[in-house]
Amino acid sequence: MIRDLVCSIDYSICAEMALGLFVVAFAGILFGSLRLSKGAADKFASIPLHDTVEDPRNV
Amino acid sequence: MATASGPHDAAKSSQSTNASSRSLSDDQFSYDDAIVRMFVGATILWAVVATLAGVIVAALLVMPSLSGGLEWLSFGRLRPVHTNAAIFAFAGNAIFAAVYYSTQRLCKARMWSDSLSRIHFWGWQLIIVSAAVSFPLGITQGREYAELEWPIDIAIAVIWLFVFGGNFLMTLVNRRERHMYVAIWFYIATIVTVAVLHVFNNLVVPAGWFKGYSVYAGVQDAFMQWWYGHNAVAFFLTTPFLGLMYYFLPKAAGRPVFSYRLSIIHFWSLVFIYIWAGPHHLHYTALPEWASTLGMLFSLMLWMPSWGGMINGLLTLRGAWHKVAADPVLKFFVVGITFYGMSTFEGPLLSIKAVNALSHYTDWTIAHVHSGALGWNGFMSFGMLYWLLPRLFQTKIWSEKLVSWHFWTGTMGILFYIVPIYAAGLMQGLMWRAMDDTGHLAYPDFIETTQSIVPLWWIRVAAGVLYMSGTLMLMVNAIMTWTKRPPVYEVPVYSAPPLASEYHDDAKPGTSSLEGAPVLEVGKKVDLFARMGWHRKWERLPIKFTVLVTAAVIIATLFELIPTFLIRSNVPTIATVQPYTPLELAGRHIYVSEGCYNCHSQMIRPMVAETKRYGEYSKPGEFIYDRPFQWGSRRIGPDLAREGGKQSSFWHWTHFENPELVSPGSVMPAFDHLLTSELNFEAIEPHVRAAAMLGAPYTEEEITGSADLARAQALKIAGDVVAQGGPANKQDVQAIALIAYLQRIGTDLFRTDEPEEAGATETEPAETEPAEAEVAVMVP
Repeated sequence: MIRDLVCSIDYSICAEMALGLFVVAFAGILFGSLRLSKGAADKFASIPLHDTVEDPRNV
Repeated sequence: MATASGPHDAAKSSQSTNASSRSLSDDQFSYDDAIVRMFVGATILWAVVATLAGVIVAALLVMPSLSGGLEWLSFGRLRPVHTNAAIFAFAGNAIFAAVYYSTQRLCKARMWSDSLSRIHFWGWQLIIVSAAVSFPLGITQGREYAELEWPIDIAIAVIWLFVFGGNFLMTLVNRRERHMYVAIWFYIATIVTVAVLHVFNNLVVPAGWFKGYSVYAGVQDAFMQWWYGHNAVAFFLTTPFLGLMYYFLPKAAGRPVFSYRLSIIHFWSLVFIYIWAGPHHLHYTALPEWASTLGMLFSLMLWMPSWGGMINGLLTLRGAWHKVAADPVLKFFVVGITFYGMSTFEGPLLSIKAVNALSHYTDWTIAHVHSGALGWNGFMSFGMLYWLLPRLFQTKIWSEKLVSWHFWTGTMGILFYIVPIYAAGLMQGLMWRAMDDTGHLAYPDFIETTQSIVPLWWIRVAAGVLYMSGTLMLMVNAIMTWTKRPPVYEVPVYSAPPLASEYHDDAKPGTSSLEGAPVLEVGKKVDLFARMGWHRKWERLPIKFTVLVTAAVIIATLFELIPTFLIRSNVPTIATVQPYTPLELAGRHIYVSEGCYNCHSQMIRPMVAETKRYGEYSKPGEFIYDRPFQWGSRRIGPDLAREGGKQSSFWHWTHFENPELVSPGSVMPAFDHLLTSELNFEAIEPHVRAAAMLGAPYTEEEITGSADLARAQALKIAGDVVAQGGPANKQDVQAIALIAYLQRIGTDLFRTDEPEEAGATETEPAETEPAEAEVAVMVP
C-alpha cells in the first residue's frame, strides 16, 4: 500500500518546490547579511590578519 | 612582498619557546605547524606526480604505442591515475595544508589531536598510493572520479569523516575565537558534503576484495554518479579553495576581505545551489527530462554566487594592486581567482542544453575542466605554498626568481593547454554534427574527426610539459628552502583563556528597538527576528552550523533523488532486455577494468547526427542491468551503445591485436594481452551472484553453473572467430569474453527470438521491479 501511495504521488512539482526553497533560503540569508553591522563585519573580516587572540572576543 | 616578510606576522603573546603543547597550561597554546609541513611536502610531491601523469596520458593519446604494449600503461588505466592524483592527491593535500594551517589560527587553538592529525596524513597518503597501484592493475569501479574499489572507499570514509572531520570539529569546539570566520564555514561544508557524497555514491555489493557492484543501475547509477561527480567539483575543488582564498588572500594582501556580507551570501548560495546541478552532465541522455532541466536551471543560478566569490577575492586587493606587480604570491592568487571566474562562467554556459548538445563528449569539457583545475586549484595552491614555505621553514624562500619563473611557465602552460583544446572540442563537435547537402553526415568516419584534432593534442603535450616544469621549479625551491631551515623550529606560545561556555550578546536579549513604540506585538517580534541574532548564534555554534549545512545538502539531494528512484515512468521496463550472460558479465568486467569508458561512450543522444552515426537512440530501460553504467563523458573513440553485431567477432579480435589493422589512423592502443591472458572461468560466479543479489533474474542453477555456461558461450564465439579467419583454440582467453560483451551491447532492444515479445520496445511503466519483470530466461 505504501508503495502504491508513494508511486502515485506526483513528483513533477519537485522542481518548483526546489526553486521555492532556494528563493526563501536565499532571501533569508540576504536579509540577514544586510543586517550585519559594519563594526561586526569589519571585525569578522579581520580575524585572519591576526594569529593572536584579539580581545574583547564577545562580539 | 609576502615572501620577504618574517615567518610570524603577528605579535606573540608571550616569549617564544620550543615547548610542546603538552607542557602548556589551559591558557597557553601553540600551533602545530609540523603537520602543515607534512601536508605541504605531500602537496608538492603529488603536484609533480599528477602533472607528470597528465603529460604521460596526453602523450599516449598521440602516440598509443608509447605504452610499449604493457597493459598497465594504457591510456584507459592511467587516465584515472592522472585525475585522481590531481584531485585527491595534489588538491586534497593542498586542502589539508590550508585547513590545518588556517583553522588553528582562525580558532586560536591547536588542532584537537596531534595523533589524529598524523593518522590523517599517513592514512591519506596510503589511500593515494593504493589508488596509484590499483588503477594500473585494472582494479576500478569504472565510475569517473569514484574509481576506487570498496575497501579503499571504506578507508576514505573513515579517514575523512572520523579522523579529519572529528579532529576538525573538536578543534572548533575548543576554539578561543568566538566567531567562526567564513573560511571555516567553507571547510565545514566541504567535510560534511564530501562525506555524504562519497558514502552514498559508493554503496556496493562486493564480488570479492577487488570488485564491488553498485547498488544503483543504469539511469539511477548515472544520476548518483554525476550527483557525486559534479559535487566533487563543488565541494572538493571549490568550497575548500574558497576557504583557502578567504584566509590566505587577506594574509598575503595584508588587508581584510572586501565584503564579509558578500561572503555570507555567496557561501549559503553555493551550498544551496551546487547540490542540484549534477544532472547537467546528463543532458539528452536517458535521464528524465525534468531532472535534466532542474540541473540546468540551478547550474545557471550558480553563476552569481560563484562570481560573488571571485569579485570578493579580486576586490580584496583594492588599493593593493601595486603589491601584485611585485609579489608572485599575489600574482598566483589573482590568476587563480580569474580562472575561477572564467570557469564558473563557462560552467553555467555549458549546462545550457543547446550548448551542451555541441560540447558534450568533446574536448571542450576537457578544456573547461583544465582551466579550473590548472588555473583555479593549481594557482591557488601554488600561491598558498609560496606564502607558507618561508613561514613554515622559518627562512627566506630560496629563489624568488624561480617563483616568478614558475608563475610565468604555469600561466603559459595553462593558456597553451586550453586554447588548442577548446579549438579541438569545437572542431570535433561541429564535425560530428556536420551534414552535407544530401542530408548525410559530412564526416561519417569517426577516425577522421579524431585525426583532425591530433595536431592540437600535440600542443597539449607541450603545454603539459610547460606546466609540469613549473611544479618541478616549486619542488626545487621548496627543497632548497628546507635545507636553509634553522636547526630547531621556533614554536611561539600564545596565551589566551578558553572561551567562556556561556555567551551573552552585548545587546539586551529579547528586547526590540520598537519597545514602547505604538506598534503591534507582532511587529516587535518581527523586528527582533530581523536583528538576526539567531544567525550570529549559528556562526558561533559549530555543531549546529554543521547540522544546518548537512540539512541544506541533504534536503536538496532528496528533492532530486527520491523522484528519480521512485517514478516508474523514469525507467520504463523493456521486455526484451535481459541480464548479461556470465561470459558477457566477465567481458563487461574486463571492459571496466581496461577503462574503455574513458574513450567510448555508451549513450546515443536523440539527435539526428547521432542516430545517423550510431543507430537508434538509447532508452532508459536498456540499462537496468548495467552496474556500473558506462555512458562515459568523452568520445575519443566512437560511441558503443549499438556496437553489438556491427562488426564480426574476428574484427574485434584483430582490433584488440592492432587497431590500425582495421581502423587506420586509430589512436586506440593495442590490447594484445587480452589475446593471450587466460580467463578464469571459476572466478565469474561471484560476479553473477552479486548481480543476482542486486535483482538480476538468474536462477540458482545459472549462478552455480556460471563457469560452464561461460565456457559454452566462449566456445561458440571462439568458433565464430575461427570461421571468420581467426586463430583456433582461443576459447579460454579474455578477449573472447570482451567480444561476447561487445557483441551484446545495445542488441536487446531489437531482439526478435522470442515471438511473444517480438517488437517490444518502450512500454508503459511496468508494475514490477526489473527482477520481477517478464523477461526470458537467459540463454548463453
